[in-house]
Amino acid sequence: MVAVHGVSFTVEEGEIFGLLGPNGAGKTTTLEMLEGLRRPDAGRAVVAGVDVVADPQGVKARIGVQLQQAGFFERLTVEETLRLFASFHRRAADVNALIARFNLGDKRKALIQNLSGGQQQRLSLALALLNDPQVVFLDEPTTGLDPQARRNLWEAIGRVRAEGKTVILTTHYMEEAEALCDRVAIMDRGRILAIDTPRALIRRYAPGAAISLRLDGDRAVLEGLPGVRRVEDRNGEVVLQTDAAQETLAAVMELTRGEGAELYHLSVREGTLEDVFLNLTGRSLRE
Amino acid sequence: MRPVLVMAAYSFRMFLRDRSALWWGILFPILLMGLIGDVFGKADRLSFDVSVVDRSGGTYVPATAIKEELRAVPVFQVREEPGDEALAALKDGKRSLVVVLPEAAATRPYTVQVFYDESRAQVSQAALAIVQRVVDQGNLRLAGAAPAVAVDARGTSTRRLGMFDFLLPGIMAMTLMQSGLMGVTWVVSTYREKLILKRVLTTPVPPAVFYAGLVARFTAVNLFQVAVIFLVATFAFHARTVGSLAALALLSIVGSVCFLGIGFAVSAVSRSAEAANNLGSLLNFPMMFLSGTFWPREMIPEALQPVVAALPLTPLVEAMRGVGARGEPLTDFLPGIAYLIAWGTAGFLVAARYFRWE
Repeated sequence: MVAVHGVSFTVEEGEIFGLLGPNGAGKTTTLEMLEGLRRPDAGRAVVAGVDVVADPQGVKARIGVQLQQAGFFERLTVEETLRLFASFHRRAADVNALIARFNLGDKRKALIQNLSGGQQQRLSLALALLNDPQVVFLDEPTTGLDPQARRNLWEAIGRVRAEGKTVILTTHYMEEAEALCDRVAIMDRGRILAIDTPRALIRRYAPGAAISLRLDGDRAVLEGLPGVRRVEDRNGEVVLQTDAAQETLAAVMELTRGEGAELYHLSVREGTLEDVFLNLTGRSLRE
Repeated sequence: MRPVLVMAAYSFRMFLRDRSALWWGILFPILLMGLIGDVFGKADRLSFDVSVVDRSGGTYVPATAIKEELRAVPVFQVREEPGDEALAALKDGKRSLVVVLPEAAATRPYTVQVFYDESRAQVSQAALAIVQRVVDQGNLRLAGAAPAVAVDARGTSTRRLGMFDFLLPGIMAMTLMQSGLMGVTWVVSTYREKLILKRVLTTPVPPAVFYAGLVARFTAVNLFQVAVIFLVATFAFHARTVGSLAALALLSIVGSVCFLGIGFAVSAVSRSAEAANNLGSLLNFPMMFLSGTFWPREMIPEALQPVVAALPLTPLVEAMRGVGARGEPLTDFLPGIAYLIAWGTAGFLVAARYFRWE
């Protein structure tokens, strides 16, 4: 089985680069090859100036890695975990400073099994920064977190970039990619479909707007409205993908007045990375 | 070297925080030793209560001669009592044998009757054999024949081996084996299953160094376990050790590392922690019972002897018992130890060959 095929990209120093795609797109496999954990069958990758295939240990010394759902030694405390992993690196950052930075001070002596999901994720990020790496890899850093914990982690990741480190992360949350990433690669079925800044991707692949509304009456007429590219049904609401939001909106108003159809709910939003993915693959990110 | 030591130190804390490890590594072997020692310890003292019922009334010379011969047997506690009392005591399990010496012989040969308890076959058979021998010797002497063949049996130890003296080295060896086959396999395959191993491998530490840390950890834990077991056995069960403690410690380290290698191999070839646990048990149980841990390997049926000889625990038990309980030199056991090391080496090779982090 081929998990990743013909993937090629360049990440600039000091940027947050995101791999966005659904589960099974090959994001994790791509990261594992870059991290020196998995040997590619073919191809070449250079991370922080070191060839991954030729010198995986050299790459590991220069990068920090946060893994998706990787466990901890359950019977160690937060501080012991950090000190143990620090011993695995040649140079290690100050453990106390990391504990303070990630708000783990009152959990310092707590066993890992007594930490919340958000705390474990923060510890995981602290572990990734233990060796003061040049490049930090984060695999689905906020999966399973509540919105508050997610926002906290976004802030923490932003601070990592502010220190001049390069961040490469994977996510299947389009909000996360939009909020966090300088550039995003859209990935699906082992291939990269597009790479650019979130704004540029949206301008190019989801240029219009999405108008969602709830309407009594015949939907068929909606398809003929000016600017409408596609009509979708999402949870009982009709979503019009349009290239000309203004004209479409005017036509919708006209329609409700003329035909006597009742309009219940109307919202207009700009295109998102979700729409980009939809337009590129014909499928939704969450499928 | 530093990662190995830090890993060993932190792992030791993990062990102390793990109640089930404390149970299997320390309490279980001690309980097992206490239980086996208590149950078999009585048989081990090898003393038979023998009743003699003399119907001749002390007037018939051969009867008196036999009585004296029986009294001379060191492991026989001989007492004379009336027939009905003796048989009642036999029924209650208070006598091993009842020997009835009839009145002066009306018939030839003069027939000594022996009553025994069929439900205690082992004890009875051993005692019967001794009585038989006493009678045979009596016959020879009566016939005036000088014995053509004699046996000069000498114990190899200067003192008799008590049950706990015998058990302690076996239990120590068993604990080392279980730590490798049960403890390590569970820990290592759980590290893999929970992606802890993967997390470790994201650091520049080579897998071999991480595994060396685990070897150091488990060996330290094992030495701690056998030391606790040794102290409890010595002070609570009065087990005596005559050999060199340094040699015993050295054997413990060798045994520990070799069974760790086998344990690593088991976890490497198993798909899941569950499967590793099952395979570990599958190897663990035959060794526990067939390698002479609880009883001398000579007591195991002939058909199983090739298996006994092939098991890697057998040479470890023999060496630890020989050195510890009988005070024999370590060098007597080198071939067995070499065999054990071959097993351990094979284990490490298999583990390296099938190593994977997912």
